Amino acid sequence: MSRLLRGYAFTVTGIAVGVAGLTALGAMAERIVRFVDGGDRFVRGQISVAGQGLGLGTGFTGGGLLPAAKIREIARVPGVAGVQAQVMLPLDTSTSQFLTLTQELILGLDLSVPTPNRNYRELPVAAGRFLRPGDRRAVVVGADFASARSLRPGGRLSLEGRPYMVVGVLERMLTAPDRFAVVPLEDARELLLAKDPILLNLTLGRGDLNTGAAVGWLPAEDGDAVARRIARTVPGVNVTIPSELSRVLRSSTAFFSALLVGIGALGLVIGGLSLSNTVAAAVFERIRDFGIKRALGASDRQLGGEILREALGVSLAGGAAGVALAVVLGVAVNAHVARRGQHLFLFSPRLVVGALLFSAVLGGVAAIYATSRVVRLPPAEAIRRGA
Amino acid sequence: MLRAVGLVKSFAGLHGARVRVLAGVDLAVAPGEYVVITGASGSGKSTLLNLVGLLEDPDAGEVWLADRPLSHASRGEKSRARGRLIGYVFQSFLLVASLTALDNVCLAARYVGGDRAAARRRALGLLEQFGVAHRRDHYPPQLSGGEQQRVAYCRAMLNDPPLLLADEPTGNLDAEQAGAIREALRRRARSGGAVVVVGHRPEPTQDADRVLTLTEGVLK
Repeated sequence: MSRLLRGYAFTVTGIAVGVAGLTALGAMAERIVRFVDGGDRFVRGQISVAGQGLGLGTGFTGGGLLPAAKIREIARVPGVAGVQAQVMLPLDTSTSQFLTLTQELILGLDLSVPTPNRNYRELPVAAGRFLRPGDRRAVVVGADFASARSLRPGGRLSLEGRPYMVVGVLERMLTAPDRFAVVPLEDARELLLAKDPILLNLTLGRGDLNTGAAVGWLPAEDGDAVARRIARTVPGVNVTIPSELSRVLRSSTAFFSALLVGIGALGLVIGGLSLSNTVAAAVFERIRDFGIKRALGASDRQLGGEILREALGVSLAGGAAGVALAVVLGVAVNAHVARRGQHLFLFSPRLVVGALLFSAVLGGVAAIYATSRVVRLPPAEAIRRGA
Repeated sequence: MLRAVGLVKSFAGLHGARVRVLAGVDLAVAPGEYVVITGASGSGKSTLLNLVGLLEDPDAGEVWLADRPLSHASRGEKSRARGRLIGYVFQSFLLVASLTALDNVCLAARYVGGDRAAARRRALGLLEQFGVAHRRDHYPPQLSGGEQQRVAYCRAMLNDPPLLLADEPTGNLDAEQAGAIREALRRRARSGGAVVVVGHRPEPTQDADRVLTLTEGVLK
């Protein structure tokens, strides 16, 4: 068997290279899909509300500042379970950062109320702890944010020249919070004023400095219906309907989705042709041996079974080696780009299983095709062709 | 045991022309008979052996084995006949390079069913008998030509086939080893097996019950 496998080493290597390329493409696609899905799950879990007017901060809702009085009004709307004032602002306001999809954000949360997002009741912490009511100058950072700056719990972070203590690092979620720095609401208000000093000239109460609010709804209610009720009954606010925001998010990433489908289809075609061609060539290369076996009495079924088993073994070995190669390279690349707060490859279980299944199925199909050609040959002809 | 009637075979030559190798060969070999077929190189001896061994189909004519016409039988029937009725020693041995000498011999039993352990014991006995048991775990490229030929002979004998076809079976052996193979072929015939040997060297003919010559596509 080991000698047989050695004989197939070139074939296994050829398949491995093809499957590695395919798996790497798939891992990049998985990464982007997870990012978009995570965002979609987030926006479907809450109603995002901002004040009327033009945007001052950033986040999921366009609009102006949301005064405290409006937050109280929203809380009284029937069906609303909770309202959490928030301040969201870009860490770096330079144009180059602002134009990226993976912008680093500062998120200030009112810790005196529970997080209303139904799909993210709490952000999972990998190390340290999450923020607590009463915390000041404390920050919990996302996984990419932390790895880009080598931050750990107990570390220091400077935001707008102010020192912050890192109290926790979030688990890698492969979506927006990976690039968040989460701080108490009061600290975020300070940072907002520091970034936009013109706000100091406005006659605003401190509690009015909110770029938006996350609104939760009661279990028996429909989020879209509650959002429309808020828009109808609370004047002077911008309300996003969760399902509409999800649609907007999906359409804004439609280009990437189409690109991924195209890359994936191309990868499947190229990888599939390469794999099936390699397996078929490997079978035809052993045509002499199969001729000998026919001469010794092997029936179509016996010979076909042998070829199929060998082809499946070779395809799966090549597939597994390809997946392993892609994972090793992907992990190395991820480790390298993590220093810049990036994470390029996601090797999900469905991707790994899919790549192995793909190898086995295409290897099997190629082997069946090659076998159907081989068994039709008279043994003497097969031996002559393989000589 | 073996009856061939009117076998015709031609191959494609240069510029699409057909080259007729066999032009109506008749051959009958009874159980216990040892027949040697001689002829010049390229006279069609190996082609004739391929046809009667069901390794390829004649353009015309019929091969009967154990009273069954098989030239135009299904692939399955031919496979069964090759496995159960015929032992074949090829001119170029045709051992499978990825299998050891012992596994090459056992390969003959794989496709005919039966007890694999018993087949393995028989294979070891044959390798012992022909002096290559010490090389049983070696692969064909690690064996000399003579050793490969003896392994090929052991493989042909493993299923105790009623018809043994051998293409130049002593071609790569020294005098002593060639003598052992010829003696084995004689024993095979004496024990009731039909033996057909082709060769262009004169030595095998001294043991034969009949010597036929293939010339201009027919047996004389």
